[in-house]
Amino acid sequence: MKLKKIVSAVALASLATFGMTAQAGEKAYADFPVTVKDYKGNAEHSVSYGGQMARHVLHTSLKKLAGQGNGQANPELKAKMMAYFEGKDAGRDIISPATKGAFVIEQTKVDALSKKKNLAGKSYKGAVTSWPGNMTGAEVLAFMIDKASSADKGYDKVNGLDYAQLISKFAMGAVFYNQAVDNYLDEKLEADTKPNDKAYKEGKPYTGKEHVWDEAFGYFGTPAHTLSLTPKQAYSIAKAKEDALALADADKDGKVSLYDEMVFAHAYYAAGADKSGKTNYLHTITKAFIDGRQLITDAKGEKLSDAERTKLKGYAAVIAENWEKVIAEAVFKYAGSTYKDIEALNAALENKGDVSKVLRKYAKHWGELKGFAMALQVSGKDLGATGVQLNRLIGFSPVLLGNTQVTGIDADGNYVQGNTVTLDEYALNMLKVQQLMVDQFKVEARSKDVLASMNDLVKKLGEQAAEAEND
Amino acid sequence: MTDLLFSDYLNNLFTSVYETVLNPRKRVFYGYILLALMLAACWLKWHKGQTARQIRQRLFSRSIWWSESARADYKILLINKTILLAIVPLFITKIALATLIFQQYYSVFGFPPSSGSILPGWAVPICFTLFLFVLDDFARYFLHMLMHRWPVLWAFHKVHHSARTMTPFTVLRTHPMEGLLFTLRSILVQAISIGTFLYLFGNQVDLITVLGVNVVVFIFNVTGSNLRHSHIAIYYWPWLEKILISPAQHQIHHSTLPRHFDKNFGAILAIWDRIGGSLHLSERDTELKFGVSHKVIEDEQHLKTLYLKPFGDAWRSIRRTRPTR
Repeated sequence: MKLKKIVSAVALASLATFGMTAQAGEKAYADFPVTVKDYKGNAEHSVSYGGQMARHVLHTSLKKLAGQGNGQANPELKAKMMAYFEGKDAGRDIISPATKGAFVIEQTKVDALSKKKNLAGKSYKGAVTSWPGNMTGAEVLAFMIDKASSADKGYDKVNGLDYAQLISKFAMGAVFYNQAVDNYLDEKLEADTKPNDKAYKEGKPYTGKEHVWDEAFGYFGTPAHTLSLTPKQAYSIAKAKEDALALADADKDGKVSLYDEMVFAHAYYAAGADKSGKTNYLHTITKAFIDGRQLITDAKGEKLSDAERTKLKGYAAVIAENWEKVIAEAVFKYAGSTYKDIEALNAALENKGDVSKVLRKYAKHWGELKGFAMALQVSGKDLGATGVQLNRLIGFSPVLLGNTQVTGIDADGNYVQGNTVTLDEYALNMLKVQQLMVDQFKVEARSKDVLASMNDLVKKLGEQAAEAEND
Repeated sequence: MTDLLFSDYLNNLFTSVYETVLNPRKRVFYGYILLALMLAACWLKWHKGQTARQIRQRLFSRSIWWSESARADYKILLINKTILLAIVPLFITKIALATLIFQQYYSVFGFPPSSGSILPGWAVPICFTLFLFVLDDFARYFLHMLMHRWPVLWAFHKVHHSARTMTPFTVLRTHPMEGLLFTLRSILVQAISIGTFLYLFGNQVDLITVLGVNVVVFIFNVTGSNLRHSHIAIYYWPWLEKILISPAQHQIHHSTLPRHFDKNFGAILAIWDRIGGSLHLSERDTELKFGVSHKVIEDEQHLKTLYLKPFGDAWRSIRRTRPTR
């Protein structure tokens, strides 16, 4: 009798646990079985992307450090930042994200996610034409780190540059986006590299293709159970809001694991855009990742057939296309914010109010705009005329009072300023940036649309239609 | 890809057809037609003293609604939809043009004036709605006037005037070439209005609407705009006819009497005709006949004549401008 009770209790408990972890029936990027044919170890599943999550926390920690300067040259801060950018030392703390109130975070050391990882080695290797100096991605970031370390809380007042924003937004592009769409979802899907009929590395429980796909997924920065979250919920997780713990904690252990339960990088921006209700980037991208992973699993450790590879590349194309749009939406949004800041600046100047606060906001939004615009151009795909236009419209710094702007860097790495356009013309440039994002990338969320009222008016006046009424 | 485009086209065509009478933005929305019939009935009863039977006969006469001319109206209405629906998407959109105009203002005048500096917020929608109405009405008058005075355009506009009987649906008796011009006119007017007002007043700009329709257009439609193309000669007091075009005045525009040619080009306002010298007040005791001329040509209501002959006429009118020896 007692045994019966115990067995029933255990059965009920496991049913309940299963119910809780089943995530309302939505598929998670998890629990894909081992398909490596001669695997002898005891791993229960083949999913692994710790290295990517280590790089996410390196990035978020670097961003935090970028805002800690005191306005003087600071070799100690620079060394610390470089440790997170270039270094591979053991023992690095996760500076951000950290436990905040009820939002308890599981890991506190980078090594808990993965050891010996850095950002520099995985940065875009081509020339970054959107930044002066003809530097590679890693060189641009190192340059920004150097400047940030001696800036006052990361803000260079003279040139209008907010390094925390620039470093963060560009690094997300140069490392995460580039690695995912130009490496793992591109060359690494071919037949002659990281094949699916062999372990990725001797002794590993995942095949070449399984791991390649996992790494791309990791770089996107979305939790494994994303499909059971709404964009609004994902957004609140990224912000580490108090009530977001329950949403994030998929395995109900009372903590948020930075490995597979946290929202990072572009996944956060996808959720942000989707909150408008006009887009569905987060789920579209996540589902494509999950479907692709399932396809690879279904190959049961054999080489992918041509048909399977074509289908997988189809998923990769969906991911790349939507990921690009997420970044374009961010460019659109921050162009709108920058426009509004210029408006506020004009108003403050007219009313002889305090411009320093407005200038700070202006620099912050511009840094976000510029960082995302730079990220858009490091996908490995040449954006051609669009890229040139984008860079010319935005320039190398915001247009400052006095209508000057950074026009380049001299041989010693100092910024050079000159007269380019007036502040008014620059505001118009921001509108043109928004127009460019609409025309070239078909963005739909369109947050901070300066010409939103135009769209509303046109809707009221009626869609474009033939006028056959003869008076 | 082409499959998708074609099925989209068919979809839009179907929508467009039933929208003709179901969309309050359209002149022949069934609600406006019903109101027009009621207004006409009231006019005939109280102003003309006619009996219910006489009114019924006047309003629902088969010789008007199902004449050869009216049947041509209905055919043209449907055929035009298939043609125009295919061509209009190829035009620049009003939003693209409005954006261009907006950006031009910016380039020339710099940053827009700050909110509330020109007009208080509550006044902006009123001004925008009025500006749009006035510009649109003027553009209609002007293009209409050109269509009468310029032989190349008259070749196509003749199709509308070839109606011998008039019903509300005669407003859609339009040659596709005219339709293209009307569409371009509309795009231009709306783009200029939107671009200008958005620059001057930002997001305070709004359109005052009733049932989703521009309030001025709505008022025009519920006060019997459909009676312009009818045989009920409703006229206004002379002083009012110098401000607003009455149905009787528009019927004069369609009249075959030479003294009525090229008169009353206006849509809603009569002031443009007054300025241009083409205003003609209604003639209460004149019984009007409609058409291009009083002489009836045998195949004048055939689709071939209505659709194809204008091209030949237009070409000939261009050739006539060549110097003769």
